[in-house]
Amino acid sequence: MKLAKRMLFNKRGSLIGAVLAVTVGILVIHVNFVIFQGLFDAIVRDISEYRNGDILVTNEDDYIDKSDSTIVSWFERISYVEAATPRLSSTAEMEITKNGKLIEKTRIPVVGVDPFNDIRASTVHETVTEGTYVFSRNSIVLGNTVAKDLGGATVGDIVKVMIVDRWGEEQTKRFTVSGIAKSPGGQGFDYSAVIHIDTLRDMTNRQDQTGSIMVKLNDPTKAYEVKEFFLLSFPNDDFMAETIEESAEQQLAGFRSGIAMINMIGYFGMMSSAFAIVTIQMMLVNGKTKEIGVMRAIGAKRKDILVIFIFQGMLIGAIGAGVGTATGLGYTIYAKETKMSFNNSLPLEVTYNWEKIIQTALASFILAIIASLYPSYRATKLLPVEAMRTG
Amino acid sequence: MKALDDVSFSIEKGQVVLIVGSSGSGKSTLLNMIGLLDSPTNGNIFIDDINTTTLNDNEISSFRNKKLGFIFQFSNLLSDLSVLENVLLPLQIAGNDLTSEEDAIDLLKAVGLEDQLHKRANKISGGQAQRVAIARGLINKPSIVLADEPTGNLDSVTSQLIVDLMKSMAKKLNQTFVIVTHDRQHFGNVDKVITIKDGKAFQVEEFSTMEITV
Repeated sequence: MKLAKRMLFNKRGSLIGAVLAVTVGILVIHVNFVIFQGLFDAIVRDISEYRNGDILVTNEDDYIDKSDSTIVSWFERISYVEAATPRLSSTAEMEITKNGKLIEKTRIPVVGVDPFNDIRASTVHETVTEGTYVFSRNSIVLGNTVAKDLGGATVGDIVKVMIVDRWGEEQTKRFTVSGIAKSPGGQGFDYSAVIHIDTLRDMTNRQDQTGSIMVKLNDPTKAYEVKEFFLLSFPNDDFMAETIEESAEQQLAGFRSGIAMINMIGYFGMMSSAFAIVTIQMMLVNGKTKEIGVMRAIGAKRKDILVIFIFQGMLIGAIGAGVGTATGLGYTIYAKETKMSFNNSLPLEVTYNWEKIIQTALASFILAIIASLYPSYRATKLLPVEAMRTG
Repeated sequence: MKALDDVSFSIEKGQVVLIVGSSGSGKSTLLNMIGLLDSPTNGNIFIDDINTTTLNDNEISSFRNKKLGFIFQFSNLLSDLSVLENVLLPLQIAGNDLTSEEDAIDLLKAVGLEDQLHKRANKISGGQAQRVAIARGLINKPSIVLADEPTGNLDSVTSQLIVDLMKSMAKKLNQTFVIVTHDRQHFGNVDKVITIKDGKAFQVEEFSTMEITV
């Protein structure tokens, strides 16, 4: 073992090359993980915080007829639940007069919220960059893009909103813009408008109905448990309750395959580092042909030679995995501490996935050993006399 | 064409035997066969009453490690190791721990290298390297030390020192040496000289006593 170490450490260039190959392989996976998994988690976070909560309750067919306050109270009695809030959605046509000019915009998504509960169960109110969140029956928060489309609507402007109710009648109401919402990542309400849920109920003629109940948990790992308990408690109400993974599945499916592909690229990177190790180990074997011949001549068995080069592979793997993991963790810490964002907008959700970190380090270590097998085997095949003559 | 044919001789314990002959005569091939680095297509080689031609690869390695010592023309030390570590290498290969380090130091003292123990093998002179090789060849107390042109790469003064050292070690340790050389003059009196010509043992000369001149 001492000899194996010496042989390797005396060839510093080869050692550094092999270790770098492993390090880069691991680093690529860590960087991919930080960026793409971080992006994925950030989107999950935003969907959860802005739209679906940890559990989203809807009706199997259309709208929830049960009183929203009953459902909210039921949820808030559970210790795992932070808060719950009702939501109702529709689309509207909007008009605004800016500088004497009438500007119209159609098919704008409108979300009705209960301001009191909403600020506890969701962080949408934090995306209001100008003005305040919905606070009264006639206040409206415009998404940044909607505000732009309406000729640069600002806080205090009056917006005329027209909604077709459940009977097909057009209902019109004037709102005062109380705030402009802007959030990165596309999951916020930049393309929507937010009004009081009771106003939207009146306008859509759905006075006792709710579109969904968004439930925020203080322990998201209990989502499935709470969901099942809810469904068992209301067996006859045609409720549908979904965890964030279930409710956002469609939106996340594309990202999942993207991440799988990026991970595969990372693993291909790791495979290339294995080829680099094979090359470097072959160089080491070729450079030590004479020494191998001498060792065989003075009694080293083929197994002893095999062990020397496999041990070198283990050393390369261990050092590479150590340095790679340390560098990768360094990058992850940097990303977390600096609140790294994607495209300078969406803050990444950086997590330390220890299972994956250990898995990657172990995979690199094992790959380095596997990559050493062929060169080691070649070394054992050298005949002592030939090796001493040609080395 | 046969590299060696009809070669038959025996060596007694403690003898210093020279194998001489012109280049390409087959003397190194003969030494490699005695050293189990090469195997004959026909015939047998007995060392310590063991027919070495029947051994498998692992047994050959063990046999080489325990019963044979090697000194090569270019010393062939492992440059990554120190002088002392090179001498200890056969013991480590045998799986012994370093309890025999004292033996190695004694041997290095005997070859006059007690002040070079921890020097890297590639930092010493050719003569010193060959002395280390002698110590390495002797560390396992082998039945035979096989030396292939041990002075072939040295100047005449150093060559004589190495020859004298080998002969004195042979006498002191009652150690059998089989030495291939094309320069018989340097060795003076030895116990036996086998002359190989065209792959055959052309002449085997035996001498009753060996004079040691150190």
